[in-house]
Amino acid sequence: MDFFQKVIIEPSERLLESILQFLPNFFSALLILFLGILLGKVLKSVFARLFRAVGLDRFFERTGTAELMKKRGLKDPASVVLSKLVGWITVFIFAVAAMKTLEVPAVERILESFILYLPNFFVSLLILFLGYMLSNFFARAALIASVNAGLRMSGLIGKTVKFTVLVLAGTMALEQLGIGRETIVISFTILFGGVVLALSLALGLGGKDIAREFLEKKLRGEDKKDEFEHL
Amino acid sequence: MNSVILRNEIQEKINEIKEADILVGIPSYNNARTIGHVVKAVHAGLSKYFPDKKAVIINSDGGSSDGTMDVVQGATIEDYKSILVQHRVEPVFTIATPYQGIPGKGSAFRTIFEIAAALNVKACAVVDSDLRSITPEWVELLIKPVLERDFDYVLPLYHRHKYDGTITNSIIYPLTRALYGRQVRQPIGGDFGFSGKLAKFYLTKDVWESDVAKYGIDIWMTTTAIANNFKVCQSFLGAKIHDAKDPGADLSAMLYQVVGATFDLMEEYPGVWKKVKASEPVATFGFQYAVGLEPVNVNIDRMIEKFRLGVKELIKIWEGFISRDIAAFLRRSEDLQKESFHIPDEVWAEIVCSFAIASHRKIMNREHLLKSLTPLYIGKTASFVIETRESDAQQVDQKIEQLCRVFENIKLFLNVNWR
Repeated sequence: MDFFQKVIIEPSERLLESILQFLPNFFSALLILFLGILLGKVLKSVFARLFRAVGLDRFFERTGTAELMKKRGLKDPASVVLSKLVGWITVFIFAVAAMKTLEVPAVERILESFILYLPNFFVSLLILFLGYMLSNFFARAALIASVNAGLRMSGLIGKTVKFTVLVLAGTMALEQLGIGRETIVISFTILFGGVVLALSLALGLGGKDIAREFLEKKLRGEDKKDEFEHL
Repeated sequence: MNSVILRNEIQEKINEIKEADILVGIPSYNNARTIGHVVKAVHAGLSKYFPDKKAVIINSDGGSSDGTMDVVQGATIEDYKSILVQHRVEPVFTIATPYQGIPGKGSAFRTIFEIAAALNVKACAVVDSDLRSITPEWVELLIKPVLERDFDYVLPLYHRHKYDGTITNSIIYPLTRALYGRQVRQPIGGDFGFSGKLAKFYLTKDVWESDVAKYGIDIWMTTTAIANNFKVCQSFLGAKIHDAKDPGADLSAMLYQVVGATFDLMEEYPGVWKKVKASEPVATFGFQYAVGLEPVNVNIDRMIEKFRLGVKELIKIWEGFISRDIAAFLRRSEDLQKESFHIPDEVWAEIVCSFAIASHRKIMNREHLLKSLTPLYIGKTASFVIETRESDAQQVDQKIEQLCRVFENIKLFLNVNWR
């Protein structure tokens, strides 16, 4: 009988007691999560209207980001995507708060380190996002300007500008995340320096005749200009 | 009069003159070489045709470093007897002042309008400072329709080389005519006459920080006058020959400002242009005569090369707003040889309208959009040069008239898609 009491009844009672102690926290956590989901939905709807009102979709269209989002399979307008993101962030924050309410030490430790890291993650996401938008904008500006200047390698110039801005944004994002901080900066410096050196050598060795011809034309005025007035 | 842009010494000069009948404005920037001739021609014109009117010549300068303003102050006619039968009764005042605001012709004009309003003038004219072909008769032809025929706005009509004024001929004239229904041949000619009433009206508009303050001023003045029902006419001035322009002037920047200003005006007056169904001629003054023009050098191969490069690299941008048929045509034309290179008027008119609609819908950065029009414009210009190589002035006019009719026919496309 003692054996039965010690092995089955007492642990069961302790378990029941723990469960009974845990249950209020659990229900509190469930309530917080439920509230988070509800608030997330409300904020999603509010932010969708706000983003539309400030003309965010038009801004994304003008910068060419909307087109690229479509190409990547994101068919919703930017206002919808970002308002969904706001909703999910709200739900996530409440989920974290709910997990803290559970008062499980292991979960608390993991959460703590995760939460401390989270701002870096969001800042790096923002850097990547801005970098992506700026890379499209500058690439298109460089492409149009070089086409109008009659440069045959306009496409390459546009792509180089895009690649450079993206690499710069990527480097900054990784640095923000603290991943191989110094390695990344050194790699970027070496890579960028290498590209510039390679281009200088290529231009110097391969294009010296073209450069000479160009300068001769300019200095001697051999290059006939169109003389008509556009206006 | 309280003005935010006029300098104190100019205010004092205005107080001294008090009122005037005629004002002639000359915007300038480093034009010391030619402005003396322009001032003398204007002075002679005022003395010869308006001897009993109180007149003022205003040089509105953009900060010249070559002594342009000194030339203006020193420009006088030594021998009046050789050009005048009778002596002037009223004096001609000359004011040279640097303008304030963002650098550009529009800011220079704003100063001229301000002084015109302050002096309560009846008629004004503006002429470019780099003109070599200006004569005293230009002043008469630009001012008299205002003073004696009650017109508010006088546009110029010139004989120009068939390859000159290609932005005017291929975009601005056909589009303005189709939109606003007036056949004004040189809407951005640069030399205009206008009433004091219209100068005051211009000052009521808040456009001086936009592209209107730069190259856009000419189309803005013309469109504002037409769209607001001011009485418009044109005067034949003869040949337009001027000093060689700055070779560094960027074509795409010019196109961006002029076409951008035209598209901006479409945004301002949709209620006006949407109602217009056809165009009508405007009253034309002056005795028309043929003039000899200097030959012009054109490098067609290079123009076609620039067009091809544009199609190759920018077609993906254009495909976002031009029709599939136009995109397919452009892809095909990339392979055309010089002899068969041709951009039909219908294609060109649809391209311009598609750019206008894309600009209206703000589908991308406006500067990118309008500057990407440059290779297509160069292609159309090359096509025009090839088509009119053997044509005389009359045949070229017919060709432009044909393009205008195409623009008028395609206007329905613009009306339907302008939402």
